[in-house]
Amino acid sequence: MRKLFVTLSLLIALSMVFAACAPQPAAEPETITVVETQIVEVEKVVEVEVEPEAPVGPKIARLGLLGPGDIPTLDPALASDTSSVQIIMETHPGLIRQHEETNAIDPGMAESWDVVNNDDGTATYTFNLRQDVPWVRYDGFEVVQVTDEEGNVRMVNANDFEYGIKRMLDPATASDYAYVSVFALAGSGPFNAGEVETADDVMVKAVDDFTLEITFNDAAVYNIAIAGMWIHSATPQWIIEERGDRWTEPGFHQGYGPYAVKEWVHDSYIVLTENPFWPGTDSIPKPKIQEVYLPFLDAIPAFAEYEAGNLDLAAVPLDDLDRVKADPVLSEELNINPVQCTYYYGFNTLKEHVSDVRVRRALSYAVDRQSLIDNVTKGGQEPAQWFSRPGLFGAPTAEKYPDLGIGYDPEAATAELQSYLDENGLTVADLDLTLMFNTSSGHQKIAEAIQQMWKDVLGVDVKLSNQEWKVYLVTIQEDAPQIWRLGWCSDYAHANNFIKEVFGSGGHEASATNIESEEMDAILAQAAMESDPDKAMELYAQAEQIMIYDIAEIIPIYFYTGVGVTKPYVDRTFGVGGQQYLEKWDITK
Amino acid sequence: MTVSDGQGELKFGAGGKPITAKGESLWADAMRRLLRNKAAVVGGSIVILLFLAAIFAPVVAIKSFEEQVLKDQNTVPEWIISVFPSIEPYARINNDYPFGADYVGRDLFSRIVYGARISLSVALIGPIISMIIGVIYGSISGFFGGRVDNVMMRIVDILYAFPSLLFIILLMAFFRSTLTVIEEGTFAWYMAELDEALGGMFFIFVGIGLTAWQTMARLTRGQVLSVREKEFIEAAHTIGASNIRIMFKHILPNIMGPLIVAETLAIPGYISTEAFLSFIGLGVNPPTPSWGTLISDGSGVIRTYPSQAIFPALALAITMFAFNFLGDGLRDALDPRLRGTQ
Amino acid sequence: MGRYIARRLLYMIAVLLVVSIITFGLMHAVPGGPFDKEKPLPEEILANLNAKYNLDAPLWKQYILYMYDVTIPQFSTQEPTSALADDALLIFNVGSVWVRWMNFGPSYASRSRTVNDIFRDQLPVSFQLGVMALLVGLLIGMPLGVLAGLKQNTIFDYFGMGIAIIGVSVPVIVAGPLLIWIFGVALKWLPPTGWGAKPPYLLGFLPETGLTWEFFKYAIMPSVALGTGTSAVIARLTRASLLQTTREDYIRTARSKGLSERVVIGRHALKNSLIPVVTILGPLFAALVTGTFVTELVFGIPGMGKYFVTSITNRDYPVIMGTILLYAIFLVVANLVVDLTYAFLDPRIRFD
Repeated sequence: MRKLFVTLSLLIALSMVFAACAPQPAAEPETITVVETQIVEVEKVVEVEVEPEAPVGPKIARLGLLGPGDIPTLDPALASDTSSVQIIMETHPGLIRQHEETNAIDPGMAESWDVVNNDDGTATYTFNLRQDVPWVRYDGFEVVQVTDEEGNVRMVNANDFEYGIKRMLDPATASDYAYVSVFALAGSGPFNAGEVETADDVMVKAVDDFTLEITFNDAAVYNIAIAGMWIHSATPQWIIEERGDRWTEPGFHQGYGPYAVKEWVHDSYIVLTENPFWPGTDSIPKPKIQEVYLPFLDAIPAFAEYEAGNLDLAAVPLDDLDRVKADPVLSEELNINPVQCTYYYGFNTLKEHVSDVRVRRALSYAVDRQSLIDNVTKGGQEPAQWFSRPGLFGAPTAEKYPDLGIGYDPEAATAELQSYLDENGLTVADLDLTLMFNTSSGHQKIAEAIQQMWKDVLGVDVKLSNQEWKVYLVTIQEDAPQIWRLGWCSDYAHANNFIKEVFGSGGHEASATNIESEEMDAILAQAAMESDPDKAMELYAQAEQIMIYDIAEIIPIYFYTGVGVTKPYVDRTFGVGGQQYLEKWDITK
Repeated sequence: MTVSDGQGELKFGAGGKPITAKGESLWADAMRRLLRNKAAVVGGSIVILLFLAAIFAPVVAIKSFEEQVLKDQNTVPEWIISVFPSIEPYARINNDYPFGADYVGRDLFSRIVYGARISLSVALIGPIISMIIGVIYGSISGFFGGRVDNVMMRIVDILYAFPSLLFIILLMAFFRSTLTVIEEGTFAWYMAELDEALGGMFFIFVGIGLTAWQTMARLTRGQVLSVREKEFIEAAHTIGASNIRIMFKHILPNIMGPLIVAETLAIPGYISTEAFLSFIGLGVNPPTPSWGTLISDGSGVIRTYPSQAIFPALALAITMFAFNFLGDGLRDALDPRLRGTQ
Repeated sequence: MGRYIARRLLYMIAVLLVVSIITFGLMHAVPGGPFDKEKPLPEEILANLNAKYNLDAPLWKQYILYMYDVTIPQFSTQEPTSALADDALLIFNVGSVWVRWMNFGPSYASRSRTVNDIFRDQLPVSFQLGVMALLVGLLIGMPLGVLAGLKQNTIFDYFGMGIAIIGVSVPVIVAGPLLIWIFGVALKWLPPTGWGAKPPYLLGFLPETGLTWEFFKYAIMPSVALGTGTSAVIARLTRASLLQTTREDYIRTARSKGLSERVVIGRHALKNSLIPVVTILGPLFAALVTGTFVTELVFGIPGMGKYFVTSITNRDYPVIMGTILLYAIFLVVANLVVDLTYAFLDPRIRFD
């Protein structure tokens, strides 16, 4: 390139010189001018701008997103933990996609949908599916489309969704999360319970190849969120029938989302690779990062890898936060973002002393949540004065409802307790209380701190006890102690998933608290139908007030946050629901 | 996993009494030899110091081991920063705490001192249980020999093949959980109550004792077998002494030496088993400290506040050193082969 | 000799049988089942799951079914499919007859894997780590022990024993992160976590990519962290054994014959003092190979160790049975090998 330029310029210079040296026309004979032509070689140095070539080679992200131990399953029908769901979000996107930060409902595999509220109270949703998404798999070398016996490419269609949902509901599949579907989808209960043999009564129908009709029991606002859950994704019937439970193993795994499973070494790591056949939508774009390497590491080794430069992202072990905040480089890379979970202590209202609402309120008022967050958990968590985590649809926020529920108020605490003690002629020493939690150093630290707070504010000596996880779960359900610890994370981004499903009548922990409120249930039923965000929030605020103050069913403690470090060259978003949308990320090295 | 160090043979003269120099008793002779062993003396003194510190903990440790002062959490005194300079940028200084404070502001020094109580009780009770069961079992097996011996040792072999740690975990999961499910008055209920009274230590003792007795049984059996054939035992038989009398008056006293030594050398194993159990969450109930819980709590912050793990680990290491050298010294002292009089 | 081995094998079967019965009973006695979750499952789903895995059958029946699957080989003329129920640890064909043997059952925690898969994938890693940790232990422990034994009560003795004790008293949870910090993060000489090989494994336990630096660099820190503990045991044992041997009469005879000290120790004392060390190599190796929970957690190694603990916390019954039977098998086999090695070391030992 350069040579050409130089030659050309020389030629041009030369020709200019020659032109200059063109023979003059005949001059007047008076003077004979001798023109001496001197050829001057001018070396022109031409600055050549060479365009930098675009970096060659795939972008690989190494992310410490998943916890230690193997992913339990990659089967959408069976997944129940965050690691599994994270991968499934990438390989089997659902009908709709909830925005990772705002929880807004965006199209997913369905481009559009209509809602018809029927006379019998049910609601029928008709989803119009995308027609341009093929099934893909990794054949050992690259991602290829799946073909049927005749060699035609299999496109994802409504039949796959219907199969996926009905298979999930099938009692033989024994899906953990089917209960959410059973609660919402019309006609699903009897089939899942094994009362009817076939899934014919389940109101999920593929009207034609790309139109799916789902009928829900109520005209509830959160139906659409439930429809988009991973358990309602399309699954490949042909490979499942051929391989059974093994279909998720590498080599057999088939998906259709922005990423495909390239490699899964059990107990070690999983590698996702870009699916070139994913058409890319507004809400689920084509991925910019070609390969994602996700090791299964405990928090401390993962952070060590991050510090060694081998990982681009890791969670910060809370014990290291002090050091990270003081470090000039790490503190810049630190990010704290909300996660949709609530940490709380529940009461078994059948047991002595905590059967009186004043004792429960006193214990709740005495917890200095902010101090706990500043000194013990240190992850920038938000103090919780009620249960449903702000950010969910309908959940009250601190800006709009600053005094809702119960916060730290030592005077109110002692007043409530004193009232109870006086009425029963007891002293503080007579109070025999036990707090139980599942064995873990984190829960222990929090329990020890709160135990001290109860002692300082109320003078009460609460005993701590812990049990191994599985045993603990049985204990909570069958004979919960006076005070017990649990957390709850969202399945879908609506307050109903929190307050109604956990503590409404028949809720998950109803048999652990043994207390209900008809008034609260009525409000919750009404709130489920309310589509106006402000009105919904007002209703849920009322319900929370009843649960937290009037009946003081639990002590809400804090709302979770995710504390992590991310290298500055990772261009990322922060999902609040526990999942990250990797297809939106980029590496700008 | 305990290890047997070999069996010593004692030499006897006529009349059944071991030969010693200058007419001393066996134990006085052993004591004299022990005191000459410098390492053993150091080890023994440390052990004694530890026991004193544990017994008089409230005097030694001025601050409370359970009082949380949240604003003092993770603070360190000046001298620790000079030992671990990397924590300087973010460490908060507070010279009130000799070793610094833990993550909720409890004094680390007093927690280590009180933690000695747990470790030393494990060091005491574990061997006691193990010896009582093991020695009795092994003596019977070795003394009667033949069929009895065969069957009894096979049983030991089977139990040996069972991973002891798993057994302890299962045991604890079973008993801890049944607090709400067992009926009052049953045996299991009393065990659970005892466990609570001991602050969660009971099952650790039971677990350790139950799994360690097998080695002691094997060892005892071997010793009994070798002593059984001696002339003075035959002589005792001839006189008409009963089996029990022979066992207790003649055999046992003469084999106690190596047994005690072996058990002392196993103590570090017990202590580290307790530490491990506490690490995986099956140890004492909070806020009771044990070196195991301190190490496990500290291991989480080891990069950020290394002192919180290093000091309990040092305490553990020093204790194990001490028991080890003491045990070696005891063995050397009691082993007549080193006497040079034969 | 043949009769001895046969008797020991028979006896091994008896041991395994008893261990399996005790474990089975104990694990079902602990409250909490594999399907107790934080979000409690509805009754019907629970019933489905229990039916699927035969957990609603009487205990003795479950036990028989399990032992049947593990011990009795299944023959068929059809090639086994990749279905979970068809899986086994050993699958091979003799002519047109396919044999499936030793099926340890499915895993409740992971729906697409069986216990056989777990053994195939994770056991070789623990084996490799165990062998290397043992080598580290021997390389450090034996020289220290010999030194200490020969120079009893001198500075070498205290120093050697001192190092050994430090090795055993600094637990892996402290040593591991420290090693990772120094060599992995600060100096960046070694990778902080992970393992250098992945399934499938040659001959069941060798890494396919070979024994290269790529493989070893992942193994150095965990082997050292683990090996220092075993080195202490080996050192102390070697020392004690050497002390005892050098006081034997035959050594005195050898010395009085005029043999040089080096010959006396090297040819006579050392060989015989190895016996107690060899004795514990069996249980030591069994314990190492069946993995250590903490090392694997700290270094992110995909071995068997974590399954010992997590299977109990998850109440994953087939995995519990599998891991405990595995441990018992290893122990008994290791002891048998050790006993046979006795004969070579000490001709006085006869088999009766």
